[in-house]
Amino acid sequence: MVFKYDEHNKYHRMVRGGIIIAVSLFVFLMIWWAISVIANNAAIPDPWETFGALADLIQHGDIVTGKSLGDYISASLSKFIQGFLLALVIALPIGLLLGNFKFLREFVSPWIEVLRPIAPIAWAPIFILLFGYINGATLVVFIGIFFPLLTNIIFGVTKIDPVLIDASKTLGASNLQIFSKVLIPSTVPYLMNGIKVGLGIGWMCIVAAELYATPLGGIGFYVANMITYGAFPQAFAGIIIIAVLGLMTTGLAEYVSKKVSKRMGLDA
Amino acid sequence: MAKQKIKIEGEAWGSDRVRADRTDELYKDIPEGDTLMSIENLRVVYQTDEKETVAVDDFTIDVKKGELISIVGPSGCGKTTILRCIAGLLQPTSGKVMIGDHECSSPGSDRGMVFQDFALFPWRSVRHNVEFGMEVAGVSKEERRERAERYIKAVGLEKFADSRIHELSGGMKQRVGIARALVMHPAVILMDEPFGALDAQTRNIMQDQLTKIITHSERTIIFVTHSVDEALYLSDRVIILTKRPSTIYKIVEVPWDRPRDRTDPEFIETRRKILNYLEEQNVMD
Repeated sequence: MVFKYDEHNKYHRMVRGGIIIAVSLFVFLMIWWAISVIANNAAIPDPWETFGALADLIQHGDIVTGKSLGDYISASLSKFIQGFLLALVIALPIGLLLGNFKFLREFVSPWIEVLRPIAPIAWAPIFILLFGYINGATLVVFIGIFFPLLTNIIFGVTKIDPVLIDASKTLGASNLQIFSKVLIPSTVPYLMNGIKVGLGIGWMCIVAAELYATPLGGIGFYVANMITYGAFPQAFAGIIIIAVLGLMTTGLAEYVSKKVSKRMGLDA
Repeated sequence: MAKQKIKIEGEAWGSDRVRADRTDELYKDIPEGDTLMSIENLRVVYQTDEKETVAVDDFTIDVKKGELISIVGPSGCGKTTILRCIAGLLQPTSGKVMIGDHECSSPGSDRGMVFQDFALFPWRSVRHNVEFGMEVAGVSKEERRERAERYIKAVGLEKFADSRIHELSGGMKQRVGIARALVMHPAVILMDEPFGALDAQTRNIMQDQLTKIITHSERTIIFVTHSVDEALYLSDRVIILTKRPSTIYKIVEVPWDRPRDRTDPEFIETRRKILNYLEEQNVMD
């Protein structure tokens, strides 16, 4: 029997997607392997050494400090989540206010434009000096997530369809009711987009902040520490963990934002 | 010539906005056929940097209780501007709008509105769109649900009560818009080219449905359209506007019973007359 690919069959599409990803990853590993062979440098371990170190890390934890992988991950994630929640709690009211009041927005936006292009990691030494290792790293995450969230919320508020405001007025809604029942719901998809972008940047920030040798710290610290010991396969294993966790966070954000946008009826 | 900028309604936090449900009952002592709403000397001047444009000038009319008047005019004239002034969404340069002896200076639930592009809340289901006005007016949950149900049924959408807006066709969307306005029992309903975005066939069906609704329950409606046929099919009086500045050119009384027959010679003759009036506007330009 001759197999025929059917674009409209869900399972065919899934298998096709799976095959492409598998082959793509295989080619990726081959390129990595080739680079490590050509470079012939201890700082670039080949994939197989790295996977050995990864299996070791998962089973026995960090041989130097005696900490388990779970300890590192939870240390990183807790800073990440705290930084994210802090950014959300602060960006949401400020974004709604700035979106709503034109003068305020015009007044504050020069500050935003000055601060926003600064790489969050540039704040790390100052924050760590001022607030200690853990809170400093959390604040770096906060900065990374705060600006994409804020600008997306402001954009969402200013982009609201004015005819919806008109409709609510002719239905008798007070301005406070318009704010809570029309403005906020219509901003949600933009908020979700801000979260999506913010989480990606935030995850990069946490690892970068931990590279500042945070003694109490997370998976970024593990990578930095392994490099100082010259344990490169171990360091690469740590990088793989970072990549997987990053994928999981952005994947989750993507999924939630899709669900929410659909629920709010704004993506159809 | 008053030199004044257009001011969009801006009362603090909407505190004096009419928010009540069933505002039609406030005027139940006015007998049908008597003046319910009077629009007096409406004048709208748009001010730009260089010049000022008079969009509407000296627009005066009494709207009788229970009638449907439609406003037609050459395209680009101030039909929608007039309706937005009546709704309170736009403050006229001068003139006023009264319902009974209450002056309408800001938007409120006593003037329900149906919009050309529907203006439905996409994050709410059909049911919750229809309930919005009652919700902000503080109507109890049970009553809200019961009344929304009734009006959703009246516009034939009972199977779609829990659907999201993006799942509906254009005609269905506008039926939600109409139910949302009707359920509040406003004193006056304003319709801004409500069927303008629909295809010809859906349009005819919607006109028939609206005819049914207004013969079953007494409603006062101001209907803006660019279709003479639609105006004649639906209304008790057709107001023909002049081109800029818009003012009343002619008023045609339409005394026939509903539903009307578009092929009736009298209908055709009257339509021709109105089209001629509109043609004169273009010639004068």
